[in-house]
Amino acid sequence: MTMFHFFNCAILTFGPHAVYYSATPLSEYDTLGTSVKAAVVYLGTALVKLVCLATFLQVSENDGFDPYQELLKALIGFIDVAGLYFALTQLTHRNISQNHKFQAVGLGWAFADSVLHRLAPLWVGKGARIHMGYILQGLEANANLVLSISLAALASLIWLRKNKPKTLIPIIYACAGIVATMPSITSYLRRGLGWYFPKVVGFELFTSLVMAFISWQLFFCVPKALCMSSRVYALLYHSKYEAVLIAHQFTSQASYVVLPWTTPLPTLDFYRLCSLKV
Amino acid sequence: MAALKKSTELLESVYSVVALLFILVACVGLCDAAAAVDVYRLIQYDMSGSPFGSRFAALNHHAASLSFPPGADLSRTVLIIPLRELNITFVREYITQKKPLGGLLFLLPEVLSFKHGGNKQVHEKEKMKKLLAELERLLVHSNIPYPVYFAFENDDIDTVLADIKKNDAMGQPATATTGGFKLVIPTAEPKKVVSPTITNIQGWLSGLKADGDANQLPTIAIVASYDTFGAAPALSVGSDSNGSGIVALLEIARLFSLLYSNPKTRGRYNLLFGLTSGGPYNYNGTQKWLRSFDQRLRESIDYAICLNSIGSWDNELWIHVSKPPENAYIKQIFEGFSNVAEELDLKVGLKHKKINISNPRVAWEHEQFSRLRVTAATLSELPVAPELFEGTGSLFDGRQYVNETAIIRGVKLVAESLARHIYGHQGKNVQIFADESSLAVNPAYIRSWLDLLSQTPRVAPFLSKNDPFVVALKKELADHADEVNVQHENLEGIFTFYDSTNARLNIHQVASVTFDLLLLLVLGSYLIVLFCFLVITTRGVDELISLFRRPPSRKVKTA
Repeated sequence: MTMFHFFNCAILTFGPHAVYYSATPLSEYDTLGTSVKAAVVYLGTALVKLVCLATFLQVSENDGFDPYQELLKALIGFIDVAGLYFALTQLTHRNISQNHKFQAVGLGWAFADSVLHRLAPLWVGKGARIHMGYILQGLEANANLVLSISLAALASLIWLRKNKPKTLIPIIYACAGIVATMPSITSYLRRGLGWYFPKVVGFELFTSLVMAFISWQLFFCVPKALCMSSRVYALLYHSKYEAVLIAHQFTSQASYVVLPWTTPLPTLDFYRLCSLKV
Repeated sequence: MAALKKSTELLESVYSVVALLFILVACVGLCDAAAAVDVYRLIQYDMSGSPFGSRFAALNHHAASLSFPPGADLSRTVLIIPLRELNITFVREYITQKKPLGGLLFLLPEVLSFKHGGNKQVHEKEKMKKLLAELERLLVHSNIPYPVYFAFENDDIDTVLADIKKNDAMGQPATATTGGFKLVIPTAEPKKVVSPTITNIQGWLSGLKADGDANQLPTIAIVASYDTFGAAPALSVGSDSNGSGIVALLEIARLFSLLYSNPKTRGRYNLLFGLTSGGPYNYNGTQKWLRSFDQRLRESIDYAICLNSIGSWDNELWIHVSKPPENAYIKQIFEGFSNVAEELDLKVGLKHKKINISNPRVAWEHEQFSRLRVTAATLSELPVAPELFEGTGSLFDGRQYVNETAIIRGVKLVAESLARHIYGHQGKNVQIFADESSLAVNPAYIRSWLDLLSQTPRVAPFLSKNDPFVVALKKELADHADEVNVQHENLEGIFTFYDSTNARLNIHQVASVTFDLLLLLVLGSYLIVLFCFLVITTRGVDELISLFRRPPSRKVKTA
């Protein structure tokens, strides 16, 4: 693998993070500090996980799927979730809306994960022959980014949103559980079912997109009582009538679909709410 | 707003710098060396103006194995041929029909290497010897207009060759995504070796001169030529031809110096030991050495014994002469040797080959003596005279090819015969150099010198005047002889040699650039699409459009 190829794989692995940061409003609100803090928290959790794995896990001779070991690994994987909780709730963030907070945390988390797990093999493999493995690794990093952000969204839903509709809670927890145990699922696929790496990466990409969609729906459908995106403010402020209507339609639609027991807010109340915040 | 502008500008500048840096790095480091191997070039020489050998040294071509797709154009490829897959007719066809080829790389088994092979046994000695001899004969006498190199197999090269074979079997050209290999040898064009020198070393052991004896004592000469010539000059160690002869000469010198150190046991013959150079070139050096002699000295030589290849025989040695066997002197010498041979339980045969004065080819060293009317004979294991440039240190002539016991027996034979002649004990059953006596032949001495010789390539044009090996020979002879003289001469005549005998081969793995560029394009478009998608979903399409339009309205406002 030449330098050129190394560069290609590097931008595949780390490019999306940078693009995500610059494309979304994250860059405007200078949430880099949050991402950096989240990355540091990830490193800490990785260290703790390493120590736990070294203490509790037995090294197996064959490469098969040992359910007990995998269960143990999954349990230790929940330390990840604990770390994410810490990053989301305990760290003092500046006045960033919840919407951006989870994105920043998820981004920082995914970036640290990519660097830790994928940079070293890329750098060391700079002289080797295998081309495809590193490209697949880059695709895996992309899937991981999406998964991390969805996990962060779900986690923020769990811990940062105080009033959640009751019916949604099990769905949220279930989705969060699935996303959190993704590593165990992929290792089961690779070892237990004997899937090849390209297949596993394809599966990861697919599930990440699905989970992202589901968590996006969940996130935007739980009403933010007093927490609105600043974009919506701007829209309302320099607004045209259509913008307001769009916003209204959005919320009301959501209410219709997901929250049948909530009455749609009348337009006047909506305005009042906005002016309150403004 | 200003902060936003600043941050975007900063990001953009960072992006551009990073991109530029990576482009630079990509241009510089496009290939990666997968392996580096020592290679040894085929000899390049002119004989009477006609060019022979491989005429080029620098190499920069793609590699292919013998399983290349038929009909492929090989004018810019190097064929890598391991010895076990060598098909002589194929190579002969390529060379004699002058088919275009980028280069040839022969892989020799590691066991033949004097650096790494050690003393492992060679399997199928005879077959390998025959094959190598044929290959060398073909290469040395052909004019090859592309580089030809020899290398020893090791793990790196084996894996590379396996990869190349796989690629060739799939019929893929070397620029596909699986990549190919490029062999690069960055050397300059080979230059002529200016005035190559040949160095003759002679040692003189004086005999016991009785008081009042005005006549010159008779002299017996023992001669061996020490330089070699082979297809790969850097590998031409010639353990048998003529390492065995040198070792035997040194041991005989040591034994006789022991005898002559004490005046009571000093014989009435002078002993002249000659280590000559220029052997492969019709014994040019011996001729010059003899011509430099005083007439009286030359006339005082009773006879000369030349040693040539006495290291790998079983039971039979040959004495080659140019004077007819009926000659009295020849009879005497032969009888002396036969008597000792019988006692040592080996056979000695006599072979007569007439000299043709008009033929410049000198096959045996004794012929140079005979041309100057000195009685001489050559002791050798070879029954027939070797052809030009054959049997003078070829590729298989390494340490494994010589047998110490053979040399020890040869030394005993020569030393005993000489001693009986010197001390007048012909026909008597007296063992002077008996085993377990203080005059026994020393196997350790023979072994150590043989090991040294098997690691020293000794092609005369590449041995300078003060080469450490020549100096070592001189020192060793000085230990045993009373007087040592060194004679430097120019190797003139019909031969011209070219340098650049060994080099370092770099094997680069070539990844096709098109694949990487394509990948870069794909990734770039993916990132751009991702960027646009994210901008649209989170900020709206307006934002995306505004990114591309530099705000001219600003200027309008301020104006």
